Amino acid sequence: MNDHNVYQTNNSETEETPEQAQQEREKEMQDDEEELHKLLLPNVHDLPLTPPSAIDFNFVAYFAPDFLKPGHDQYVYRHANGLCVIGLAPTHVAFKDEGGITAVDFNVGKSDRSGFKVTGKRKKNAQHFESNTAVCKVCTNNDSYIVRCCVKGSLLEVNNRLIKQPGLLNSSVRITELLMS
Amino acid sequence: MANETEDAPTNSASESHATSADVERNPTDEDKNEKLLNDAVQFLPTDAVKDLLSKEVCLRCIFRLFGMQVPICSSLSVKSLLCHVLGEQADLHQNISSVEPNICRSCLGILQFTYCGDKERVVENESACDFAVAIAELVKKEGHQIDSFSLEVSMPPTILENENKLSLYVKRKYRSEAWFKDRSISECSSTKDALKFALTNPLETLLDVKCGISTFHIRLTYSRVEASIRIQNFVEKIEGCKRRKVDAKNCLDTVKDKSAITGVENSVVSTTEVIPVDEKSSNGLQDNEPSETHEFPLKKVNEPCRLECLCFRTPIYFGGRYLKYSRNVSQTRWIIDEERMGEASIEEIIGGNILPMCRGDSYKFHAAGREDIDVRMLGSGRPFLFEIQNAREVPSELLVKEIESKINSLENKLVRVKNLKIVGSQGWTLMREGEAEKQKQYAALVWISRPLQDEDFQTISSLKETQILQKTPIRVLHRRSPLEREKIINWMKIEKIAGSSQYFLLHMCTQAGTYIKEFVHGDLGRTNPSIGSILGCRAEILQLDVTDVKMNCFLTE
Repeated sequence: MNDHNVYQTNNSETEETPEQAQQEREKEMQDDEEELHKLLLPNVHDLPLTPPSAIDFNFVAYFAPDFLKPGHDQYVYRHANGLCVIGLAPTHVAFKDEGGITAVDFNVGKSDRSGFKVTGKRKKNAQHFESNTAVCKVCTNNDSYIVRCCVKGSLLEVNNRLIKQPGLLNSSVRITELLMS
Repeated sequence: MANETEDAPTNSASESHATSADVERNPTDEDKNEKLLNDAVQFLPTDAVKDLLSKEVCLRCIFRLFGMQVPICSSLSVKSLLCHVLGEQADLHQNISSVEPNICRSCLGILQFTYCGDKERVVENESACDFAVAIAELVKKEGHQIDSFSLEVSMPPTILENENKLSLYVKRKYRSEAWFKDRSISECSSTKDALKFALTNPLETLLDVKCGISTFHIRLTYSRVEASIRIQNFVEKIEGCKRRKVDAKNCLDTVKDKSAITGVENSVVSTTEVIPVDEKSSNGLQDNEPSETHEFPLKKVNEPCRLECLCFRTPIYFGGRYLKYSRNVSQTRWIIDEERMGEASIEEIIGGNILPMCRGDSYKFHAAGREDIDVRMLGSGRPFLFEIQNAREVPSELLVKEIESKINSLENKLVRVKNLKIVGSQGWTLMREGEAEKQKQYAALVWISRPLQDEDFQTISSLKETQILQKTPIRVLHRRSPLEREKIINWMKIEKIAGSSQYFLLHMCTQAGTYIKEFVHGDLGRTNPSIGSILGCRAEILQLDVTDVKMNCFLTE
């Protein structure tokens, strides 16, 4: 009888029941999650009102005002890895026309810039462009303007969406092409 | 040609040094072996033995040819072996050195335990035990802690050809003899097996561990040390010009020009293509049909083989999960133009603590995916594998736990390790298994260009298993192929941040390989849809944390 009692006391002091072990584990998991959450939350006071945009953060912006012709303002965003994004600056004369830009055509010069494909790590089939090579033509109700490359390099990609949605240029002045220099 | 092993005992008096005397069995074993030897020797045909000895075939080759197990005489020198075989004959005693060939024409000295070692010095060992002592010395010098070893032997192809020729010769000459019919000559063991057999027991005794399948390898590589006449054949073979008569000197000059043959200056050539030429008919042989396989006697050998003895352990693997608390620590060592990027690297922090405990040569770090330097790895951690080359010691479980604690208690608390332990080769497959399908969970600090609205929570939460199309992000486009990748966003959830209307925490779970930063800010429209396009405004990401890598390996048991 005494033996039986001793056995029970030992059990509750040194060993856990399965339920207790399970509870312990759950509590541990909860603690871990709370700790994780604390790490994730930022200190609100440190947050800037307006953070730098991805473009400001990752690129160096260059402007080419009046490139080869008055009013043809373009920008070049250069990434640290050497890639450049060419586009129309908001002050470009095309935006001044009523209705803004109505069409974008990549079929200029000798070939359709939107046609060819660049493949592989070595960027095969990339066309070499000089700074005055024509990239595309933007049309408005009144006129059409040639957009030139501005930098010397190989063309990697054009913004095909502009073909179907030229209006994008009006709203957020998006890229027209990507270049590797 | 000094006998190297005799000098050995005096050199390292500080260490306890094993000699062949330690290896010999106790008296009763020795008596037993003597009896076994005597019994076996009875069956040896004396005239055949004498004939082969005269053809410069060594005694142990003769033994293996007649199917006698060589380990019985591991500790015995050739002299005592000869006495057993040929009986106590006074005249032979005096001429023993002339009876046993200097270098056996069949095994090229390998079974005579003679070889060309470091610095071109020829080493001769009296018995297998002496040879084993030299090998064991090398193991101890490297400081290896082992619990078993595997013995590997590599020999030049000439040996096999010699074995065949010898076999054929004996078959032809003695096929009519009675003793030949009684015992099949196919009982003979190969030179390689005979050597391994001779060395296994002494090595087991010296190293105090068993031989078998093991991670610790003792590799003996024998190669030919060639004279210039062989180079002539070699060069002619690779030039495909059999008629050219070049003398040895011109040949060497030609060889110097050929960068394909390296190390020929020292006239060591690994003979994968040279067919042995019988010296007696060397001049006319180029024109003959090669029938050397049946030619006997074998060519005289002037120099023993060169031996390279390597002992090493196959790589051992440490698996576990790591957490990264810093936004300035890269995963692997990252150096551009001699300048280090980031404060430290996970690979160096963890590897730098594991490698010295194993006393290994080097490490290789593998992880199940990676994160940018400015992204923290939290939660359950990311599985990783460390491959340690040639560890001198395999740490115990306790020691491994100590290593883990040490890393976790480093002052700067940049990295944490969980569940570190030694894993077998299955750790590798576990990690690579389904790497592309695994999901990862993230928490991003996002800013949008307008205040958060109530509908936004619902808009985001309702999107399940959304497919997005990502063009290769501009920031990696310089080193990766321009592709369009389809990825799945499994679920998303917005968590409001008290005190801010335009900042929030975005929790999400995505398919492995998704570029999260680009999914938030849209990468100039090249990722569709993006958070910006879903919420109809501009979105920027300030911070990113990985909160879970959903993989089933290296988890807490």
